[in-house]
Amino acid sequence: MTRGRSGAGPVIHSGRTTPRLMAHAVAALAPIALASTWRFGTAASVLFGVAIATAMLCDAVCDRRNANDGSAVVIGMIVACLMPATAPWWLAAAGSAIAVLLGKHALGGLGRNLFNPAALARVLLMGLAPAAFFSPLWTIDGRTAATPLAKELGASPVTVVDLLLGLDSVTLGDAMPVAVLVGGLVLIALRTIDWQVPLCYLGAISLLALVLPPGERIVGHAPWLAGNPMAHLLNGSTLFCAFFMLTDPVTAPFTRPGRLVFCTLAAAYTMVVRYYTPYPDGVAFAVLLANASVPFIDRKMIWGSVGRGASDELPAVDSQYLAGDEGGQG
Amino acid sequence: MAAMKIPGYKHCADSPIQQLLPPERVRLPIAEMLPAVDVGDRVEAGTVVARSAPDAEWQRRAHSPLTGRVVAISEPASEEGPTREVVIEGRAPTETSARPHLDAATLSADRILTCARDAGVVGMSGAQFPTHVKLRPGVPIDCVIVNGSESEPFITCDHRVLAEHRHEVECGMHLAMRAVGATRGEITTGRRGHPFGQERFVISDVLGRDVPDGRLPKDVGVVVINVQTARALHHAVCDREPLLERVITVDGSAVASPGNYTVPIGTEVGHALTQCGVRLDEAAVLVAGGPMMGESAGLETPIGPGTGGVLALGHGQISDLLDRPCVRCGECMESCPFGLPVVLLLEEPNEALLQCIECGVCQFVCAAQRPLIDGIRSVKAELRAGRRQG
Repeated sequence: MTRGRSGAGPVIHSGRTTPRLMAHAVAALAPIALASTWRFGTAASVLFGVAIATAMLCDAVCDRRNANDGSAVVIGMIVACLMPATAPWWLAAAGSAIAVLLGKHALGGLGRNLFNPAALARVLLMGLAPAAFFSPLWTIDGRTAATPLAKELGASPVTVVDLLLGLDSVTLGDAMPVAVLVGGLVLIALRTIDWQVPLCYLGAISLLALVLPPGERIVGHAPWLAGNPMAHLLNGSTLFCAFFMLTDPVTAPFTRPGRLVFCTLAAAYTMVVRYYTPYPDGVAFAVLLANASVPFIDRKMIWGSVGRGASDELPAVDSQYLAGDEGGQG
Repeated sequence: MAAMKIPGYKHCADSPIQQLLPPERVRLPIAEMLPAVDVGDRVEAGTVVARSAPDAEWQRRAHSPLTGRVVAISEPASEEGPTREVVIEGRAPTETSARPHLDAATLSADRILTCARDAGVVGMSGAQFPTHVKLRPGVPIDCVIVNGSESEPFITCDHRVLAEHRHEVECGMHLAMRAVGATRGEITTGRRGHPFGQERFVISDVLGRDVPDGRLPKDVGVVVINVQTARALHHAVCDREPLLERVITVDGSAVASPGNYTVPIGTEVGHALTQCGVRLDEAAVLVAGGPMMGESAGLETPIGPGTGGVLALGHGQISDLLDRPCVRCGECMESCPFGLPVVLLLEEPNEALLQCIECGVCQFVCAAQRPLIDGIRSVKAELRAGRRQG
């Protein structure tokens, strides 16, 4: 039977609802989960499973009303993607718990959290549990690392095909950069994310790789990384960050121009971390640092334009008359 | 990615206008008019049943579309409830009495305006503003636009009127031009989708003139009237016929025979739907008007002069308002024809919101399915109250 609808406004909808967008993200992350399982074996599936289950549990505890929107599954999958393949299961659980409890709910809940929850979890865990995070594949001094971004002096340069297939990858998310590209293109095709954001980030990374003078660690241990944009694009979590982290609407600026400023900033932070700090990857740091500027970017870019709209030219006529003057749909 | 285009759903664009079996009861909303009849009075089709007080600024008339008896004059139950109505039971006239046909070419502007006023011609695109007032703008007008860009999804009645009765619409346009002294007349059909059939966008598209915030089209030398208003003006002046009927679109997945139909003003939504074979158990919501800016209706809601359609939308066609947390996707700002950051303006009210025309696009795209239009209305009311005090 028919019912009156309490709310005013349109009764039809575009269909692009939060659960739908989250489902798109899960679908786009699925190839990455499969690729990491193919590359690292069942250990990868266990990490994905633990991360997703922990995220869903924590979300349901904190906010039962919105727990079914699928955002917890997405956070869990992104947390897992940022885990090293060698991580123990509890590291994935701790990552999801930090992301959901602290990153999402303690900082305001879905839509209000300033920082990308998964990036926050990764950075905190790198600080709190470095042993679980880095050994045995990674070391922060670059000496025993197997990732190309930290590759030792004298190691043979990697080809683009090697990079695309992730033969030197460390985290689940970059198990196979091809899978990340596929997932990212799916999101663009579904119009879930703006293509401008990854393009701007990846473009800025390439440019900075060419123009920035490399720091001591690069010059000393991995000179082939200096001035080599392709190595920076296809390595570490660059692609993953471009398609799955910077495109999180909650922690990005509200306006499209603001988002381009935001991802340029993130690219700059990424390259600074890679070139001048002991950390070989740096995207999680870069995302957090860029997140911190979002309120400032929004304030400048939204209210600047809106303020101009509301000048002295305000209705001299009662707007009832305005609306009453055949302003209908024509 | 460009801002989302609102889909047209113009299923009935090729359905010729048909006559519905006329209702035996009509409810004429008379708003602030005074009843000119009493309960029990006999009325003819065309009898004036209500008119504005003599000292009212904008003179309106309401005419009975049926020959029969006044059975009730309802008082508004509350300020927000339905307006006062005159309820008439009877039958539609089988044939309109032939009246002397006037030659439009010889009429003075005053004569046109008097005919429009006496016939009760009002804007038929929703707002129902008296046309004779609009055609006496008091400022120089160089162009009359007949707006056929009905951009609301589903609604095709103006499109059909233009396809089948273009000469009447053109005659109405020339009468309007004569009344305001305009030398230019344009009939527009838009393709840009909702909300770009709204008059300020049409003026911008056709003439390249921008109507400043808070101003009216006449301030840039334009008068915009709807297709069916122009046609009603033609009938009012040339045939001396009052506004008794209009063409509506009846559509929705719960309707067996969607199409474009001529109905007497005041026909109940339920009557129109029943004639079109509605399956009420499949209807999730009934709408009077378009799905973006129309009002949700009941079976007894009358079809007014400004009601472009009656929709019985199925569950698969509508969306619930779930009011999830905003994910700051920015689509409301991206899709807003004025570029307003809608959700942010609801948290942090700003007078910029007053230019909002409540086209509903932001709510249509809102991923969190928030009731943005409700929010906009209440914030606008607060802003206006604040301005009156300040």
